[in-house]
Amino acid sequence: MQITVKDLNFTYSARTPFERHALKGVNLTINEGDFLGIIGHTGSGKSTFIMHLNGLYKLQSGEIDVFDVKLVPDKKNKSDLRRLRGTVGMVFQYPEYQLFEDTVEKDVAFGPKNMGLDAEEVQRRVKRAIELVGLDYEDIKDRAPFELSGGQKRRVAIAGIIAMQPKVLILDEPTAGLDPYGKEQILSLITHLKEECSPTVIVISHDVDEITRFASRIVVFNDGKVMFDLPMNELFRHAEELHAVGLEIPRAVRIAEKLKKRGVELEGDIVSLNDLLHAVVVAYNKKHIDETVDENVNFSAFEFDLNGSACGGKKEDDR
Amino acid sequence: MAIPAIKLENVSFSYPVSEGEEHKAVDCVSLEIEEGTFVALVGHNGSGKSTLAKLLNGLLIPTGGRVLVYGVDTDDEKRIFDVRSSVGMVFQNPDNQMIATNVEDDIAFGPENLGVPREEIISRVDWALEKVGMSEFRHATPFKMSGGQKQRLAIAGVLAIKPRVMVLDESTAMLDPKGRDEVMKVVRQLNREEKMTVVHITHYMDEALEADRLIVMNDGRIVLDGKPADVFAEHELLTRIKLGVPCVTQLAVTLHEAGMAVDPRITDEEALVDSLCKLL
Repeated sequence: MQITVKDLNFTYSARTPFERHALKGVNLTINEGDFLGIIGHTGSGKSTFIMHLNGLYKLQSGEIDVFDVKLVPDKKNKSDLRRLRGTVGMVFQYPEYQLFEDTVEKDVAFGPKNMGLDAEEVQRRVKRAIELVGLDYEDIKDRAPFELSGGQKRRVAIAGIIAMQPKVLILDEPTAGLDPYGKEQILSLITHLKEECSPTVIVISHDVDEITRFASRIVVFNDGKVMFDLPMNELFRHAEELHAVGLEIPRAVRIAEKLKKRGVELEGDIVSLNDLLHAVVVAYNKKHIDETVDENVNFSAFEFDLNGSACGGKKEDDR
Repeated sequence: MAIPAIKLENVSFSYPVSEGEEHKAVDCVSLEIEEGTFVALVGHNGSGKSTLAKLLNGLLIPTGGRVLVYGVDTDDEKRIFDVRSSVGMVFQNPDNQMIATNVEDDIAFGPENLGVPREEIISRVDWALEKVGMSEFRHATPFKMSGGQKQRLAIAGVLAIKPRVMVLDESTAMLDPKGRDEVMKVVRQLNREEKMTVVHITHYMDEALEADRLIVMNDGRIVLDGKPADVFAEHELLTRIKLGVPCVTQLAVTLHEAGMAVDPRITDEEALVDSLCKLL
C-alpha cells in the first residue's frame, strides 16, 4: 500500500490578480509505515500539499492515489472522497479550536458517527481513542472541552481523528504554541499512535530539532516543489542549500560543523542532540585513553540520553 | 531611587471556577520592574504568567494586593487610561489584533482613540512603521502578510500609543523560526534604542536567554528571579516544574554530570564549542 502523487499542480485564485502557483509539479511516493517529516518555510506549499492527501482541495492537475483510492481532475466521486477521508486522518494546526460539542465524548464521537457506524461501535471507538491519547475515559467523557487545559484539549482533538481509525495520520504543526512539557507529551503521543493505531504518519513542523527526533525520512518543500526527499541522516549534509532557502539546520548538526571547522572531527552521522552527545563521548574516550590510561573514566558506562529534557523527548510515557 | 515602571505588592488573582469555588492563578506575588529592563517571564501552561501579564495594564484587577504602573494603581478607574497608555500589550495570535484593512489605519487606531491630533498621528505612524522595519508596507493590507510581519505590525500599533512598557504575551508562539527572529530583533532594538521596558512571556528558553532578567513562575508564584545564566543554573528545579533549560545548557549539564570538564552553566553555543575543542 502506498500513497503516490504524480505531477501535482495547484493554483490559488486562478485568473485573478491574486493568482499564486502553490504547487508546481510535485511527485512523491509515501510508503505504508513511513514516518515522514515535511519541512519548508511559510508559503512553500507544504500545507497545500497535505490538504490534497485527503481531498480537501479539488485536484486541478495530476494524479493522486491514496491506498488504492484514485483521484483524477474533473471527476466527481463522492464515495471515493468518503473512503479517502476514512483512510487519511488530518489533524490541523491548533486543532483544539475545532472542538465544538458540549462534552468530550460527543466531540470525539462526531467523526465516527458521520462515518455511519452503529452506536455501539461509535462508543467503543470513542473510548479507545480517548484512552489512546492518554486521557482517563471515565474521568473526562462528560466534561466540557472548554474547561480542559491547552494540552488536554489538543489530545481530545486528536482523539476525534483517531476515533475514525485512519490508516494514515497527518499532523500539521502538532506542537505549535505548547509549553516545553506539553510538546514532549504530544511528541511521545505521536510515536505511540504510530505503533498502536495509524502505521503511516506524516508530520509538518517548523522545528527541525523536533523533527530529527522521530522522522526517518524528510521531504523539503521550497517554492511549490519538492527540493529534497531523503533519509534523515543524509538530508543535513545539504546544510548550505537548506540555509540558502531560509531553512534552519538542527542544532546538533550546526555544533558538529563548528567543531569540524576548528579541527575536531566527530565520527558517524550526527543529526540529533543524542547523536552529538554520543559522538563527543566516543571522541573524548579515544583521546583520553591515549593520554591518561590510568585515570580514564569509562564514559560508555553512562547512558546518555537527552530525552526527557526540554530539547529531548520524554522516553517513558508519563501520560 | 526612581519610581519603578511596574510594582506589584502582594498581588493575588482568582478566577471563579464554579459557584463558591475559585482558582488562584496568581498567589501573593511581589515584584518590581525597573524602567528600561528586558524581562523574560517563563512558566508552564497554567503557571499564572498570562494572568500576571493581564494584571500589568489593568485588563485584570487584582483580587488581592495592588499593581502600580509608574506609581498609578490599576484599580483607580479614573486613571485606567494612563495605565493603558503606559503599558502596551501584544498578544499571541496576530490575526486577532488586526482591526483595519490597511496597515496605516491599523496603526493609527490606538492614537486616534486617545484623541491625538492628526499631524501627530501621521508622524507616529511613520515612526512606528520604521521602528518595526515595515515602512514599505504602509499601504498594504495586513491579511496577506506572514505571521512575523503581522506580529511586527501589532507591535507598531502598540508603539503608536507611545507606551513606556511593552508586554508580549507569547507573541512568538504561533510564528515560524523566521518570524520569531524578526519579532525578537524588533523587541531587542526597542529595548536598547528606545529604552523601552519589555516584559516578554515565552515558552522558548533560547529567547529567555536574551533578557536582562528572567522570572520563572510556578503555581501562581515566582520561584526563580535573576540573570538568565543564574536562573538556568537551577536546571534541576526547572526540570521539576516541567520547564527546561536551553539546549546548549542541557548538553553542557549532561556532559558535566558524566564527569567531563565542561561548565554546566554554559548558555552560549560558541562557549560550548570552545570548551569541547579544548577537551577533544
